Amino acid sequence: MAIVTLDNVTYKYPLTDSPALKEISLQVNEGEFVAVIGPNGAGKSTLCYALAGFVPHFFKGELTGTVLVDGKDLLKSTLNEWVLHVGLAFQNPFNQISGAKYTVFEELAFGLENIGIPRDEMISRVETAMKLTGISDLADRSPYSLSGGQQQRVALTSILVMQPKVLVLDEPTSQMDPIGTREVFSVIRTLAEQGMTVILVEHKVEWIAQFADRVIALHDGQILLEGTPSEVLTSDLLQGKGFGISRYTSTAREAKKLGLWKKETLPVTLDEAAEGFS
Amino acid sequence: MHERLSFYTKRDSLLHRLNPLTKLTLVLGLLLIAFVTPWYWTPHVLLLIVIFPLSFIGKVNREFFRAFLRLIIPAATFLFLMQAFFQPIGQQVIFKIWFLDITKESLLFAFRNAMRIIVMVSSFTLFLLTTHPSELMSDLTRRGLPGQFAYVIISTLQIIPQMQAKAQTIISAQRSRGLDTESNFIKRAGSVFPLVGPLVFGSLVEVEERAIAIEARGFTSTHPKTSLRDIPDRNIDRILRWLLIILIIACIALRIWLS
Amino acid sequence: MKIQISDLYFTYPTGVEALRGISFMIESGEQVAIVGQNGAGKTTLVKHFNGLLQPTSGRVLIGDWNTKEHSVAKLARRVGYVFQNPDEQLFSKNVGIEVAFGPKNLGFDSERIQALVKDTLAMTELSDKTEMNPYDLSATWRKMVALASIVAMDTDIVIFDEPTTGQDAVNVTRIANVIRNLREHGKTVITITHDIDFCAENFERVIALSQGKVLLDGKANEVLGQEDLLATTYVDPPQLTRLGKRLGFKETVRNQEEFLNALKM
Repeated sequence: MAIVTLDNVTYKYPLTDSPALKEISLQVNEGEFVAVIGPNGAGKSTLCYALAGFVPHFFKGELTGTVLVDGKDLLKSTLNEWVLHVGLAFQNPFNQISGAKYTVFEELAFGLENIGIPRDEMISRVETAMKLTGISDLADRSPYSLSGGQQQRVALTSILVMQPKVLVLDEPTSQMDPIGTREVFSVIRTLAEQGMTVILVEHKVEWIAQFADRVIALHDGQILLEGTPSEVLTSDLLQGKGFGISRYTSTAREAKKLGLWKKETLPVTLDEAAEGFS
Repeated sequence: MHERLSFYTKRDSLLHRLNPLTKLTLVLGLLLIAFVTPWYWTPHVLLLIVIFPLSFIGKVNREFFRAFLRLIIPAATFLFLMQAFFQPIGQQVIFKIWFLDITKESLLFAFRNAMRIIVMVSSFTLFLLTTHPSELMSDLTRRGLPGQFAYVIISTLQIIPQMQAKAQTIISAQRSRGLDTESNFIKRAGSVFPLVGPLVFGSLVEVEERAIAIEARGFTSTHPKTSLRDIPDRNIDRILRWLLIILIIACIALRIWLS
Repeated sequence: MKIQISDLYFTYPTGVEALRGISFMIESGEQVAIVGQNGAGKTTLVKHFNGLLQPTSGRVLIGDWNTKEHSVAKLARRVGYVFQNPDEQLFSKNVGIEVAFGPKNLGFDSERIQALVKDTLAMTELSDKTEMNPYDLSATWRKMVALASIVAMDTDIVIFDEPTTGQDAVNVTRIANVIRNLREHGKTVITITHDIDFCAENFERVIALSQGKVLLDGKANEVLGQEDLLATTYVDPPQLTRLGKRLGFKETVRNQEEFLNALKM
């Protein structure tokens, strides 16, 4: 059952010449975990903004086509309404700290204060969300005293408490160190397993291959390819267009030419590669 | 690195437990009474029998006197000297320094003004020491202050230490490009833009992202806002505020009646 | 130009002892990657190379210069430092002026500056963006501008602090090309990086730091093969190294070429 539907969406930022999104049509089912890959400039962030309503309501510009989430039409809703359906988190954790609150607990409640949630429910939502994302021990800390990975988990949790139907994550681990990356991926995986609909823009294809249900490859504002992780991440179509593919894939491709890779499909993960080469 | 910029000192005292608006009214009251009441010794008396004892009641006396001696006294002394020397009033010259005539009247005038300033700054200091900015803003918002206003104030307070850290990094980066920050003044004057530029432009980039982040958390929602913290406003608060208002009105009335 | 670190200790004013006895030498023209978890002391160490930090004890020699005796501005002649966040550097009206800033500070004559700027912009694929305002460019290109600004200073030693963080595959390749270019010109390149695959494919020598000390220091193949030790400072081996180990290769491989060669055998 589709919870997100984009139908022929084209969008151009104000004062630009060419559209950032060109006739994008896609569907995401409830509970699905979809990954979006593509080189910089492909329109990944714009797609995230379109899903979260910031395009066109925050950035202005012209959007044609339909964006539906949970049956509601973006062009007929205000941004205020829309943020309750779709949560958005992005690359830089520091810029996602509101600056309005002195402790993590209050930071998490910030969004709920804004939308007028009663105090008791506020507290219960925050406590539940913190347990889910594993940051209960950070409750009394100042958000500014946290590491990058901790801040990013706080950012994710602060969106989670708003109880959106869909979670859109724009490269949440790009600025993390290995530990932070692990922490953030762990949270995302937990949320996906709990049934949250997740749309994740990522470069780290090895992880996507293990946990995503579906991968969409974006190029130059359009959907180039769509399918299972294995189908998309090993596709020859991605060659030479700036997609970052796993070294297992590229090495196996070369090895195949030399007759050293015997299987039909190329590997994306370590396990697949190890299995295929031995 | 400081995590936040505020004077607030956490204690368990009568002052801390007072509602922020009450404390704000107190500050206003002290200010107005000091400036409006015609009796010469008003500010001095207020300082000794109200402000100093309150610092003890608020259990922040150590911090208060540290600020008092380090900041308030030097600033007030400077003001006093400026007024005494450069605003001559009256005729009775007490002594001369070089080409400046110091009159008795201007000394008295300057002294009273300095004391008034001291009362004003001291009462604000006391307020800041015993009131968490978050608490103040929550309370004012509840009473009708626009949420955006409160946000601007608090986020500014928190962002200043972050900005300082950022400025430090920018200085390091530009020094690493050969920018001379150690030699003569003229060279240093020319280095303002490479230091301020990234701070301003870089901040603009961040500001847009932060705007999106808070928008994503309903910041511009027109829903009536609720508050996580419950800031009590007890009967004693209300009584105190009314007493202060009556006192202020009485002083103003006295001033008008006497003139 | 040699870099000589002798018994370097550094404690921050806050009391944190960030470097606890580091010694090594980097020969002229070497390509070195410094890896290790956050807090191990990587940035602290590297800030000693251009004088931003001074040793609490020990000595840092850049060529024949002791960093204690020269200002940061002076050391900038020998050591270029590319900071992680380009927005903490960029301020000029256009890319050309921005890239010329460093060379200008070093007092080069205008002919040399022009030549350096032109060559550097070509190397970083920024030639067609010379007249543009850096802040009108995307984050990807701003990164290249920041890189170009330092490379244009033509220093013997260039330090990159996390150059590939947040970059897509295309830009990582661009950055790798710049590094290879520097290598061909005989420059010493030092990088701090979390991207272990990038490290494996572009650097001959790897120094792993852990808690302010040198954990491992040697040829990339040797260091990157020591999975267990590297794990103590939260460094995962490169993808192909791991695969090689799984397949039971005798030698540690670190890039596609080595892997395929080992496979053939």
